Amino acid sequence: MDDKKAIVVKNLKKYFKNVKAVDDISFEVGYGELFALLGQNGAGKSTTIRILTNLAVPTSGHIEVAGFNVLKDPTSVRKNIGLVAEKVILYDNLTAMENIKFFGRLYGMKDALIEERAEKFLKLFDIWNFKDMLISKMSTGMKQKINLARALVPDPKIIFLDEPTLGLDPVSTKHIRDFIVGLREEGRTIIYTTHVLHDVELMNVDKVAIMRKGKIVSLGSLNEIKHYFKKAEIVEIETDRMLSKVEINGKIIEQDGVYLKVEIEDLNKFLKEITELKVQVRSFKTLEPSLEDIYVEMSESTVPADEKSNEVVKVKE
Amino acid sequence: MNIWDIAWKDLKTFLRGKTRVIFSVLMPIIMMLMLGFIFPKAGGSYSGNIGIYSHDLLFNAKIEKSFSNTSTTKMVFYNSRQDLIDALASGKIMVGAIIPKDFSVAVMLHQPVTMDVIPSPADPQAGIMMSQELATMFGSAGVQNIKQNVQSNLVNADGTAFNYYDFTVPGLMAMIAIMSVMTGLASAITRERELGTLDGVMVTPISRGSIVIGKVLAQTIRGFVTAMIILAISWLFFGVHFTGISLLWTIFLLLLGTFSFIGVGVMITAAMKEQETAMITMTTITFPMMFFSGVFFPIQQMPHFMQYIAYIFPLTYAADALRNIITLNVGWNFIWVDVVVLVGFAAVTSLIAAITFQRLTQD
Repeated sequence: MDDKKAIVVKNLKKYFKNVKAVDDISFEVGYGELFALLGQNGAGKSTTIRILTNLAVPTSGHIEVAGFNVLKDPTSVRKNIGLVAEKVILYDNLTAMENIKFFGRLYGMKDALIEERAEKFLKLFDIWNFKDMLISKMSTGMKQKINLARALVPDPKIIFLDEPTLGLDPVSTKHIRDFIVGLREEGRTIIYTTHVLHDVELMNVDKVAIMRKGKIVSLGSLNEIKHYFKKAEIVEIETDRMLSKVEINGKIIEQDGVYLKVEIEDLNKFLKEITELKVQVRSFKTLEPSLEDIYVEMSESTVPADEKSNEVVKVKE
Repeated sequence: MNIWDIAWKDLKTFLRGKTRVIFSVLMPIIMMLMLGFIFPKAGGSYSGNIGIYSHDLLFNAKIEKSFSNTSTTKMVFYNSRQDLIDALASGKIMVGAIIPKDFSVAVMLHQPVTMDVIPSPADPQAGIMMSQELATMFGSAGVQNIKQNVQSNLVNADGTAFNYYDFTVPGLMAMIAIMSVMTGLASAITRERELGTLDGVMVTPISRGSIVIGKVLAQTIRGFVTAMIILAISWLFFGVHFTGISLLWTIFLLLLGTFSFIGVGVMITAAMKEQETAMITMTTITFPMMFFSGVFFPIQQMPHFMQYIAYIFPLTYAADALRNIITLNVGWNFIWVDVVVLVGFAAVTSLIAAITFQRLTQD
């Protein structure tokens, strides 16, 4: 048992007949980390979450959540986790407060404590006035906020957020994104799956795992992954005169008058060549590949899903 | 054309569910075979032993002389009304006649006379038919070839007027309670699974067993309340009588009958991923059960092989015990077999259900 890690997954496999939904993955998440699990539909993210939350049984592998083995001590695991799944976990014919109380009681909480904590979260989300409204009468954004409150009222150490912003408008998405960042600042461990890569970058997650066909194909911090996948340097440069193609030793991606976006092999060599051209440089910056660039590249890779091709690109432990 | 597109899509999605299709085909086959055999054939005769509790000793002597027992019908004399009722409850006799004092004298003097006849709660149709034959037979026992003045008065064990409703009410109560649990469970578990709320409950520290028991409890209460409404209406408007003790027994048997079917309900709902499939499967089981278990038609009138099938269903035992309790007001001695079967059925199916549910709630 590793007390320092919120989640330890070693050689996890989950097979459905002939389908390898999760195929020998390993990763660790430290306490207080915001961990993003990315991948296309069917990559194995949700199955992994279901195993970690005790909703599915692994075919093989060793899994610890909050220091407890998911197979040997599932109740202790469940006492320490909260789940916000793709589908809103709320009963339509109950009010917001009735829903929160019901789930809180399943954790053995007293009503007074549930109400106190519910008030805190509902006020934070600015929906306290709707606490007695039936869920069926609420908008999608309101439901998701209640859903988050429902998962957080029992004060779980580890929160699994499976596509929590799916179907939400940009304002609600930002609200929830900011809230998740706030949760991390409170010291909670968050496992987050999403298709919205922009969210992952904005939240500055601690660690990212990209899954493909049941395997983790990339694992590391956001910067580490970006750095690893940076095959070539991309620079943006603005000069006092327009440069011609023959003057530039690189692949021009974009040119708009004196503005140039170029893919180059060697930054030092490029800077030396520019100096030799005796032009005045008005602005200059190097560009990182976006997570979306990496994600698309990883997801659309034509590499077959065999043993050799599925080596995990473990950027840094 | 759009109409056809909508229809085709609906049919196509329906056909994609193998279990749904199988049970949809099975349902009419079972129903037709069952209903084809269940009703008595025309020209069929009723037979069974006749119980007599007589206040008229002269009648006893005369009828014993004139009536000859056959392999299917015997005349049995009892010393008290309670003995007669006990014999009806245990199925030893098909009909019980209570002969009043001076019955034979009245017959001989061609005076009108009435005897109370209690039909068997298990097969009141046969009891009603036999009571008419008894009136003719007993009238003839006095003086031959004389106009008969004997009337049979169909009564319940407590002496109140009998109607067929007394036969159906106990079975109906058991059936509604059990079916509420079956269909309610199918809906509660599969619907929550589809909505995703079942996942929400299963990630909390509550045990899987507690989830099932909680759901079962809710459905049992629903079924029980429905059964109580039937009981109240039958009591208020249809003259079904309860003594204090029989009401307690009724409540106990309703709960036991419901509980006995919980295991089957849980097994089916745990195995079915979709609400529609679970509902069709439940209907395929509960609908024939309704006819097989003697709720509407007496089991004794079914062909022998169907009677064996009837005894597979716990509803048969629940309905039988309730009928004995409500219409005859008998005690433990006459329902213990039903109770033991119900408890046994509940124990075995609940055990299997607990194992399957534990396994099937996890992918």
